[in-house]
Amino acid sequence: MGIDVNIRVTGGAGQGVHTAGGLLCRLAVAAGHHFHATQDYMSRIRGGRNAYTVRIREIPVRAGRPQADIVLSLDPANLPRTLVSLSPTGIVVCDLPAGGAGSADPRVIAAPLKDLAVSAGSPILANIVGAGIVARALGIPPETVDRVLALEFKGDFLDKNRAAARLGGEWAVPRVPSGYSLPEAAFHPRLILAGNEALALGAVAGGCKFAAGYPMTPGSGILLGLSADGPPLGLVFEQAEDEIAALNMAIGASYAGARAMVATSGGGFALMAEALSLAGILETPVVVAMGMRPGPATGMPTRTGQEDLAFVLSAGHGEFPRLVLSPGSVEEAYALAHHAMEMSEAYQVPCILLTDQYLADTVVDADPGDFPALPVNRRIVHGSDVPRDAKGRYLRYAITGDGVSPMAVPGEPGITVVADSDEHTEDGHLTEDHTVRIAMVEKRTRKGEALEMETLPPLLAGPPDGEVLLIGFGSTKGVIAEAREILSVEGVATAAVHLRQVAPFPARAVSEILDRYRTALTVENNRTGQLARLIRAETGREVSGTIGRFDGLPFTPGEVAERVKERL
Amino acid sequence: MSGIFDTDVENAWCPGCGNVAILDAVKKALERTGKAKHEIVLVSGIGQAAKLPHHVDVNVFNGLHGRALPAALAIRMANPSLTVVVTSGDGDIYGEGGNHLVHNIRRNTDIAVFVHDNQVYGLTKGQPSPTSDPGWAGSLQRSGVIAGPFPPLAAAIALGCGFVARGLAADVEFTADLMVRAIAHKGFALVDILQPCVTFNKKNTYEWYGRMTYKIPPDHDAADRVRAFALSLEWEERIPIGVLYRRDDRPPFEELHPGVGDPPLHARETPPDAVRDLLRKRLFTLP
Repeated sequence: MGIDVNIRVTGGAGQGVHTAGGLLCRLAVAAGHHFHATQDYMSRIRGGRNAYTVRIREIPVRAGRPQADIVLSLDPANLPRTLVSLSPTGIVVCDLPAGGAGSADPRVIAAPLKDLAVSAGSPILANIVGAGIVARALGIPPETVDRVLALEFKGDFLDKNRAAARLGGEWAVPRVPSGYSLPEAAFHPRLILAGNEALALGAVAGGCKFAAGYPMTPGSGILLGLSADGPPLGLVFEQAEDEIAALNMAIGASYAGARAMVATSGGGFALMAEALSLAGILETPVVVAMGMRPGPATGMPTRTGQEDLAFVLSAGHGEFPRLVLSPGSVEEAYALAHHAMEMSEAYQVPCILLTDQYLADTVVDADPGDFPALPVNRRIVHGSDVPRDAKGRYLRYAITGDGVSPMAVPGEPGITVVADSDEHTEDGHLTEDHTVRIAMVEKRTRKGEALEMETLPPLLAGPPDGEVLLIGFGSTKGVIAEAREILSVEGVATAAVHLRQVAPFPARAVSEILDRYRTALTVENNRTGQLARLIRAETGREVSGTIGRFDGLPFTPGEVAERVKERL
Repeated sequence: MSGIFDTDVENAWCPGCGNVAILDAVKKALERTGKAKHEIVLVSGIGQAAKLPHHVDVNVFNGLHGRALPAALAIRMANPSLTVVVTSGDGDIYGEGGNHLVHNIRRNTDIAVFVHDNQVYGLTKGQPSPTSDPGWAGSLQRSGVIAGPFPPLAAAIALGCGFVARGLAADVEFTADLMVRAIAHKGFALVDILQPCVTFNKKNTYEWYGRMTYKIPPDHDAADRVRAFALSLEWEERIPIGVLYRRDDRPPFEELHPGVGDPPLHARETPPDAVRDLLRKRLFTLP
């Protein structure tokens, strides 16, 4: 499969790990190749051990791998840890001053990054000097480095960055081996996006006009995206005093006719549970982006997990329909965020976009063709299309065949919109009449049934029947796909099914797929096999087992392949 | 009263409840604003007071306990042409929703907030509220309230709220007048309304309030924050009613927020070309 170079930039927070890693991503694309980048960072502002891993291939990459071929180590104190995950034939470019004590490990190349940075104009450019060395190791011409730097920096700072990268590149010859040179390839313009950014863009493209949130990793990136990309398209953003306020705000904005969303993580979502239930009874469309991280409680704030599947499926008291989508890639994050906006309004239900830290912070280059400007279909009714009672008053909760009541918004002459968190009559006023209660419960249930008719089918890859089926939801999609490739090379044929919607659950489709394979394994980032339990509850079928991981890190393809083989 | 805002929703309040008088005042005040029904949104939380919007024929958002203010803020942000009034109880606004009170006064959202302050949780049958007098024994605090009372007006003045007033449920005309001024105020306006609970609060009765309250004299300089703060602390001997504090020098949140305004959010479009422009900005191309 051609080249496969895994580069890791390591250092403390504040040393420019992210900047150097991001530069290497762009250099890979500029050289006509593709990348997949992940971040592994600690919950602190300065110091610690952070890593930015960039995997470069000739084909689009949708998973990472643990062993690094080239490490750029900005902090010598991190060196021992770095060597643990270094390939036997790999190299470490480590910031050690000239003439100082080096490392006994022959793979370590002591590079005077800070000294060279000072020559370029500032010691803070050590990361760029290092990126220049790595770029040379990859055979990327200095002119390309200059052009890419010009996209990011201007004026005097650009000159200094260029000087730093050039000094690094010149220092690299002949000290750094050229075995990792990328083959020549034609450049194609690509979108460079993280999962969080793609999700926010999809929501904005889906007509989101109001967003609120309280910062919480890994949901904050979505809030950043909404507050940056939303305003040019008329979105208003408000930082809430807490997550309870955030979702109540979004519901208020939705009542007033705005497509609205919030973004958070497990702890914040827990605070939103009552408002989620409010959206259920008010029948206000609203989208909640929920980025999972390991719990319970504060857990591991900056790491990944898929422990909140059961939680989002049942959060909120009472019974009400909801849509839960679980994107598996940046492309799906964009498409499903748009879909969430559309479906949430069409069925007047809350919609949860379930992601996790891994997908949130994963950056890839993507085909711009996979990011279309899809239509936004508003469903607000006006004037004579508004259902009314004999006195001419608007019936916000008019009983209809599919349970969806035409939605008008406050501000239109001749209409008053009454929305109530109590059980209510068709005109929205509170009631304790049990007959009305039954009619309203049935109405909301019918919406759920109508929603179910539009369930996104699971995506099946591989042979339509056979020995082994791998089942995942959300961010595991790319990892499972590559694990299948590894197994295929080793003569093990597998299929995989990716669930991009988990509620309403595609029960019939999953049942039919499960029946065609001898062994079915869920692959999920948790300890207890929540997806396996969901499948049992929804289909009555027992999977053969679960490949779980719950250390706070994402799966890697090689690991999944090995663990599948153990089960055969 | 002409009754243009009347609804036929059944009244769930006790005979003699202060909420009935507050409802009269709200309807009078809304009539005096000259606004049409469709231009007004009444927002409430949960509790007996929070049922008030159901008795007024305007737009109604009856949300969660304590959460009226975030919804009211967002309705204003979505459509600043709407007049948004919050009516809820002391437990709702000062207890469950206290954080939202603090931060929406900070924002200076242009809403009028009427708190039916009866110093007791009525709907759940007689527990002390954040404003209950110390020593008062209700259910759940049977040996008497230990915590000091939340001072809503002092807190609002301290936070810089631009319109801080106290009404008296029994005096409908006086309270309606405060409400009209609160609605007209550009920014966050708080009217705490002393409301007898005829069933559960046998201390703070109509008679007690009648005896304890006095109208703030016309020579009170409501722009004097220190004097207003001193007034807000009066309670043990006598209780001032009227406008304690007002300032008009601070623009409301909606005027300062760069995205809020015309057109309202529901009328804003999402042109495909604008989406393409947004994506094009993320496209990595070489110069």
